[in-house]
Amino acid sequence: MALSVLRMPAVAASVFVIVSLLVPAFCLAQSSELDALRSMVKNMEQQLQKALRRIDQLEKEKTSDTARLGQVEKSVKAVQSAPSALNPAIGMAIDATAEHRAKAGGDFNFRAAEVGISASIDPYARAYAFITGSKEGVEVEEAAMVTTSLPLNLQARAGRFFADFGRLAKFHPHEYAFVNTPLSLERIVGGESKADGVELNYLFPTPFFLRATVGGYNKLGAENVRLDDTKSRSWSRFTYLGRLQTYFDLTDNQSIEVGSSLAYTPSIRIPQDPHGGSRTLTGVDLTYRYQPLGSTLYQGFTVGAELFGNSERVERESGFRRMFAPGGYAYAEAKLTREWAAGFLYDNAPSLASPGKKTIGYSPFLTWNLSEFNRLRFQYSYLDDKVREERSERGHQFFLQWTTVLGSHTHGFRNR
Amino acid sequence: MKLLRRTLISILLIAVALLGLDSRLEAQQIRVITTTPELADMGKQIGKELVQVESLTRGVEFMHAVPVKPSFVPKLNRADILIEMGLDLEISWLPALMEVANNSKILPGQAGNIDCSVGIQVLEVPRSVDRSEGDVHPKGNPHYNLDPLSGRIMARNIANGLSRNYPQHKPVFEKNLNAYLNELDKAIARWQAMAMPLKGVKIVTYHVEWSYFANRFGLQQVGMIEVKPGIEPTPNHLISLTQKMQQEKAQVIIYGPQSDRYPRQLASQTGATVVRLQSIAGGSSETDSYIKFIDYNLRSLLAAVKKG
Repeated sequence: MALSVLRMPAVAASVFVIVSLLVPAFCLAQSSELDALRSMVKNMEQQLQKALRRIDQLEKEKTSDTARLGQVEKSVKAVQSAPSALNPAIGMAIDATAEHRAKAGGDFNFRAAEVGISASIDPYARAYAFITGSKEGVEVEEAAMVTTSLPLNLQARAGRFFADFGRLAKFHPHEYAFVNTPLSLERIVGGESKADGVELNYLFPTPFFLRATVGGYNKLGAENVRLDDTKSRSWSRFTYLGRLQTYFDLTDNQSIEVGSSLAYTPSIRIPQDPHGGSRTLTGVDLTYRYQPLGSTLYQGFTVGAELFGNSERVERESGFRRMFAPGGYAYAEAKLTREWAAGFLYDNAPSLASPGKKTIGYSPFLTWNLSEFNRLRFQYSYLDDKVREERSERGHQFFLQWTTVLGSHTHGFRNR
Repeated sequence: MKLLRRTLISILLIAVALLGLDSRLEAQQIRVITTTPELADMGKQIGKELVQVESLTRGVEFMHAVPVKPSFVPKLNRADILIEMGLDLEISWLPALMEVANNSKILPGQAGNIDCSVGIQVLEVPRSVDRSEGDVHPKGNPHYNLDPLSGRIMARNIANGLSRNYPQHKPVFEKNLNAYLNELDKAIARWQAMAMPLKGVKIVTYHVEWSYFANRFGLQQVGMIEVKPGIEPTPNHLISLTQKMQQEKAQVIIYGPQSDRYPRQLASQTGATVVRLQSIAGGSSETDSYIKFIDYNLRSLLAAVKKG
């Protein structure tokens, strides 16, 4: 007992020593574990916050997507149920002038109400039509089918359309930079290159733009009334066309476009040559554009010129003679502000029968674009006429033109 | 003579070999054409070495008046993929080029055409489409690229579109997309913080392209210089806009690729600060990526607010 009593303090002391030695170690271990736990919790908290933020963001996007999808669903349903769901794009251009011609008098000239219709037909083709009403009546100016997925970079077109001859011949007149069709284009080509036939385009696989066209038509030219294209006839009396066109960016802001066209009719029976000699119509077109990329809304400068040549037989007292009639036009147009543009047109138009006689035209013009779809234009023309075929083609002339566009209206790549 | 013939033949053979090599190198990469530089940037980030990307516009153009350049036609003709903004932003020039590009796989609706507007919450969808309201976009405001959160959707659409066409590379596109989104998310968080002083700032814009930007950063649009989208202001409109700016205490006038004539005129009458921002990326080294472009716009606007 005495021993045990004696031993008690020793045991207690040992226990005390052991505990004293162990507790700090325990405490130390506990605190490091706590720290680890703390950092783990902190880390988890951070991760949770990050995940919450992400969920928040995704939720927001999802809500907005759902809201939009709801709207889209509604509009899709509305569109699907509309009877007009598959209607093509339709638009109309209205073009009218008030004119005064010194030798012919005044006129309110209702030039055109042109309805344009276009749509895809199926995955292989699209179609478009321009039906124009004017004071001369209603006419299908163009109604053509165009392929969209031919192999080998080919594109075919058939029906009635503006054949790929030159540049301006493919414009509808309300799209010109000036009021009237240049007389050179009208006399030599026959105005717009309207033709019934078929055309094949080939885009060369070159790094620059190079495009070739071949075509065959009943005849060429909207105003070409010398030929009747409503009857069947020998294939030698059709017109065949070839064209090559290229384009280069000179700098970011400047470009040049060059084309050459040839339309050949092996045998043309016209009043001047009822026996049917051949006719060769040639053309070279050049367009220079300055389009400063950063300010195309306000600035720009275009120079466009075309040279035409017509070679056909004409009856003379001495018999039939082949006559070559050269002519052409050149214009320059400067964009002054977003709304205003001004320019000048020079026109050199020969008589096809007597190429020595010419009408030379000088026309300054001023255009006010109230908006993209509403345009007023003033033009003065002086025509020095030695041909003397039409009273309306000579002397001083004044034009005030108003052109508007309703609905969807585009003539696409060719009218750029 | 023999030497000349040999030299000519050698040159011809080398040229053919080089052409072959060139086309083989090109054939390995997916040819991607985009309509804007930010789409090109995202296309590069997501496609990396699998793609060869080129933007048709430089970034200085007004997207509604991009010249229809025939030099774009061969690029579109040879493209495997076309990435566009959609919502008719490119309506005035792209369809005309597609007419002659002879490439049916990138036509709208086809697999090779990636429309980045899919999934965007479109603002200002007109209730009725009538040109008395100006040059309205029937599908709504197409300038969604100015909201960086739309940038996430654009990038996702590009990755989805690339994977749709090249499923064998999907894991790579997804990996690159995630890396890009991480970078973009970090930038978005930074921009949100940076843009705090812009909350409630009253602005006047030239055109309607700043709606998405204003919404994201809490700016308040109090007027527009154009009478209606695409229609230049009349003297009466400018007078009433000046009065409105004075009443509302508009601080900043934002314009883009338009003339600074009217913004400066209004600023001199109202004391507001004029700032020119970019509506698409590109155009300079400061804005040659999507992230740098948003960054540039925010910094420029903050500087203008501070100045005002």
